[in-house]
Amino acid sequence: MTTTSTTKPLIEMRDVRKSFGTYDVLNGIALDVREGGVVCIIGPSGSGKSTILRCINGLIPVNSGTIRVGDFAVEAMKTDRELIALRHQVAMVFQQYNLFPHRTVMQNLTMAPIQVLKENPADVRERALKLLAKVRLTGKEDAYPSQLSGGQQQRVAIARALAMQPRVILFDEVTAALDPEMVSEVLNVIRDLAGEGMTCVLVTHEMRFAQEVADEVFFTDRGVIVERGPPKQLFQSPNDPRLKDFLDKVL
Amino acid sequence: MSMQMRTFILGMIGVPALLALVFLTVYGEQAGAIIARILPRVPMLLTGSADFSSLEGGFVANILISLWSMAIAIVTGAMLGTGLIARSAFVRLPSSLVMNLLRNSPWLVVLFAMLYLLPFEIEIFGFTVSLSPAVKAVIGLALPVTANIAEIFRGGVQAIPSGQWESASSLGYRRLQILRHVVIPQALPLMVPNLMTMYSMLFIGTSLVVVTGANDVLSVARTIIAVDGDAVATAIYIFVLLLFFLFCFPIAILTRRLEHRVGTSHP
Repeated sequence: MTTTSTTKPLIEMRDVRKSFGTYDVLNGIALDVREGGVVCIIGPSGSGKSTILRCINGLIPVNSGTIRVGDFAVEAMKTDRELIALRHQVAMVFQQYNLFPHRTVMQNLTMAPIQVLKENPADVRERALKLLAKVRLTGKEDAYPSQLSGGQQQRVAIARALAMQPRVILFDEVTAALDPEMVSEVLNVIRDLAGEGMTCVLVTHEMRFAQEVADEVFFTDRGVIVERGPPKQLFQSPNDPRLKDFLDKVL
Repeated sequence: MSMQMRTFILGMIGVPALLALVFLTVYGEQAGAIIARILPRVPMLLTGSADFSSLEGGFVANILISLWSMAIAIVTGAMLGTGLIARSAFVRLPSSLVMNLLRNSPWLVVLFAMLYLLPFEIEIFGFTVSLSPAVKAVIGLALPVTANIAEIFRGGVQAIPSGQWESASSLGYRRLQILRHVVIPQALPLMVPNLMTMYSMLFIGTSLVVVTGANDVLSVARTIIAVDGDAVATAIYIFVLLLFFLFCFPIAILTRRLEHRVGTSHP
């Protein structure tokens, strides 16, 4: 494997294995993401895509292998303090938005920076207003999540992730639960972020979008990375028969 | 008029009317004379004093004992409930043991046990605190209610989708912080109807404290019967039943209203 860049990647997974009971989800995943890179993970459902993301931010402990994010050795993390430091750097956006329904949009954005990172509330609120403008939701500060559409909720979730000022954002099938007409408004926000140099790891079924924004695409099947490469190469001249089969089905 | 309002009005008229019918059937022509005899005893039954001069006994004592028990049990129940959902088995298993023991103990047995287990007075930080029968009654009732509230707490917390835990942890919240800032605020509205039902049961259970020697409404009733004779016994007990009904029935209706609201609205 040759690396084009001399600096070491921001995220580095080596031979990561994970099983739930007797079911092996990840069978030796190797993956790296450079700072500012946009990486898409595609593959059939049940192939371990979402599990990869949850291992990167330590939501799921791995059985073996190493995961490095910046200076953190994620697989060795034990204490709450270490995990909080990691999650300060790695934010995540979920398929089901998972906003806090009992809090307003503004509170959803400011809660964690104030309560977890102990930042100055006034500064956090100011930052949150800018982030709401960035995701095109100015004026919705006092709305509750249930009063927003799915696309709006997902954009709030992206702003909430950004409010932590992370170095990387993990997107877990963030458009999969949305009505078709709302998909583009969320993808536009992600496209903006990618353009600004935010490091993004996306698990997605939006093949056209992956082709457009990704620097590199990873195809997973049954817990292994079957093929990786620049999107053009992967989508237009796939090598592995499993990838060919998959692309035939989804494109 | 809402369904619950209709039930409320029907109950508030119907049940007292039913009790009146029982009273008239039992006493027949003597009904008037009996009423004249027990009417002067009403202040005693309500407050433990003949002229409302103090509010320490009778039905008021039942209310006070129930409120104290509930207040204590909410705190201890939330603690025990947190133990029930702890990740560490060292916390979870003992919590579960205590909860199951207390929840499956007859309340009367727990009250008797408190009567003999607890001393007359205890010393805390050099202060001597005397454990009156009422205090023992409060503790005795709080124990089984604690176990039930712990279960209500566990159920409420587990009703919140796991995605809330996941997103809060991904924002760096620790487990207890997630409970406090994210999960419990959402679970509380779900728990309130169950807590109110529990309070109603606790209130009905205060009738058991007569065995501790606390000056509750049944103790007062028995004293009055001893003085005034068995002829008034049925009338006195019908009156006590009416008191319990008038206190608990509105709570039941309010609970049903809240259940309805929790079921239909989004926070």
